[in-house]
Amino acid sequence: MKYSKSKSILSMLIIILMMAAMTSCGKASSADTQSSSAPMDATLNLAYQYGLSYAPAVIAQQQQYIEQIYHEKTGGTLTINWSQMSSGADINTAIASGELDGGFMGAAPAITGVTKGLGYKIFTNLSGQEHGLMTNDSSITSIGDLIGSDKQIALVNTGSIQHILLAKALYDNGYDAHALDSNIVAMKHPDGKTALESGAVSCHLTSSPYIFVEKTNPDLHELTEVSDSYTAANTFIVGIASEELVNTNPEVYSALCEGIQQGMDLINSDVRTAAGITAELDGNDPEVEEEYLQKGVYTAETSRLFELATFMYENGFLDNDPLSYENLVFPNVSGN
Amino acid sequence: MKKKDIIAKILFVITLLAIWEFVSKNHLLGPRSELIFPSLEKIMQAFVSNFTKGYAGISLWTYVINSLKLLLKGLVIGILGAFILSGLATLSHTLASIFNLLISVFDLLPGVALLPVIIIVLGVNSDVIVFLVIHSVLWPMSRSILDGFMAVPKIYVEAGNNIGLKNLSLILGVYFPASISYLLSGLKVGWARAWRGLISAEMIFGIASCPGIGLYINQMRTNMNNAEMYATLIVIIIIGVIVQYGVLAPIEKNTVKKWGMSS
Repeated sequence: MKYSKSKSILSMLIIILMMAAMTSCGKASSADTQSSSAPMDATLNLAYQYGLSYAPAVIAQQQQYIEQIYHEKTGGTLTINWSQMSSGADINTAIASGELDGGFMGAAPAITGVTKGLGYKIFTNLSGQEHGLMTNDSSITSIGDLIGSDKQIALVNTGSIQHILLAKALYDNGYDAHALDSNIVAMKHPDGKTALESGAVSCHLTSSPYIFVEKTNPDLHELTEVSDSYTAANTFIVGIASEELVNTNPEVYSALCEGIQQGMDLINSDVRTAAGITAELDGNDPEVEEEYLQKGVYTAETSRLFELATFMYENGFLDNDPLSYENLVFPNVSGN
Repeated sequence: MKKKDIIAKILFVITLLAIWEFVSKNHLLGPRSELIFPSLEKIMQAFVSNFTKGYAGISLWTYVINSLKLLLKGLVIGILGAFILSGLATLSHTLASIFNLLISVFDLLPGVALLPVIIIVLGVNSDVIVFLVIHSVLWPMSRSILDGFMAVPKIYVEAGNNIGLKNLSLILGVYFPASISYLLSGLKVGWARAWRGLISAEMIFGIASCPGIGLYINQMRTNMNNAEMYATLIVIIIIGVIVQYGVLAPIEKNTVKKWGMSS
């Protein structure tokens, strides 16, 4: 009996020690990332997501623009650890835990992260992309026809940028921003496309490149209120950087900004070369990739970002007031 | 359950909670670990607010009830299906070999991987979630039932035949009671697979008109409401524990343990 009791206590102690060891291991690894560099050498941990919207970041990664700029300016070596993640929520979690110094994500999760106090701000606009609400139902001609009906709208998730753009289109056309909330079915872009084409849902609110493919389908047509309300010229994807990076390592931050700008410049000045770089990774035909890239808007200047944030706050998509444009972006960012 | 076991379990849970609080309060997971690893107090507040306030005016109760309805529907159909198909397989060698092939193939396929096909066939409605729950239950449950039926001693079957039992009466009178421990084990595996399958399916495929717990978790993640997300995970655990100790354990106690088929 005594032996059994001491065995139980011993087992409990071993579990506690193992968990404590695991916790301290995580801590040590995070500290290593921050402090193992030589004086002029540095490490940068960045994350991006899938798709053409992230093309400037992908080009900067492939061409090693950021590393080259850093080397030219400081003579040191910059090592960048790139991670590909599947959602802005994942990037937000990783940056809050200190595992990332920055990344690229949709404007909506970035606004959520900044206003939640995750310790980062927007350092650049990355791209504006086409998006739209497509339907397979010829009797539907405007967004108002959907209100009060049981027609289902597939989009990525409630609270996603697509949901917010739907709410904004409703609001801009004089309807309640949440009038279609109960019509939403959350599914990823490829599943939504399949559902729309098979008739399983009536509508699909999607972005590039899926929107381009759906627009070529003669059985589908667009309800233009969503794309009219927030066009491809407006901020869709942004780059974010931790305040710690900006404060403690301005040279790295500067190289990051310039490297991403160089990626945008390549798309805007030589789209064919840019498409050649990204097509291989996307698995698209280079000509199709070039066409898709030309439909995006790649500029560092934000457009209607604060308006989007204010709309999110006033319509219950944000818990905290964004307060001002300056509260969302670093001082080097221009736009609105 | 022995008193010693209960004390050990309580101690273990308290230790885990203490470690959680220590990590959270000391920011061991980074400068903003309070946001991704909130304190127990915040999680408890979020637990209450999930039910009182919810998300976009809908309480977590609505999500829980919707999920449980779909789960129950899928679970009942899955279990009945497993019994019927396994029973048929017992009656014919050809059916048994076909059914074994089906189990081998479909048990390996994750339900969510079938989602595009299921959407095309069933459309976009709650039947898709029910189908995924059935898929999660049917195959592991069938495997357990078949294993149980195969383990029934031949002499029992012959004794059943001698007193005139055959087909359905033989299954109900001999195979079923003789393999009850396998059936219970299948039920446990089936329940766990169904519960996990349901949450996964709802996280990938959320219907706003019939919102479930998985969709709620996704909404909380999207909005970086991590305390609310962890509080929802606690709800999932509580439901799991209630089913385990409030439903499955009494069934086990009143059948296999009472009949001396298990210690």
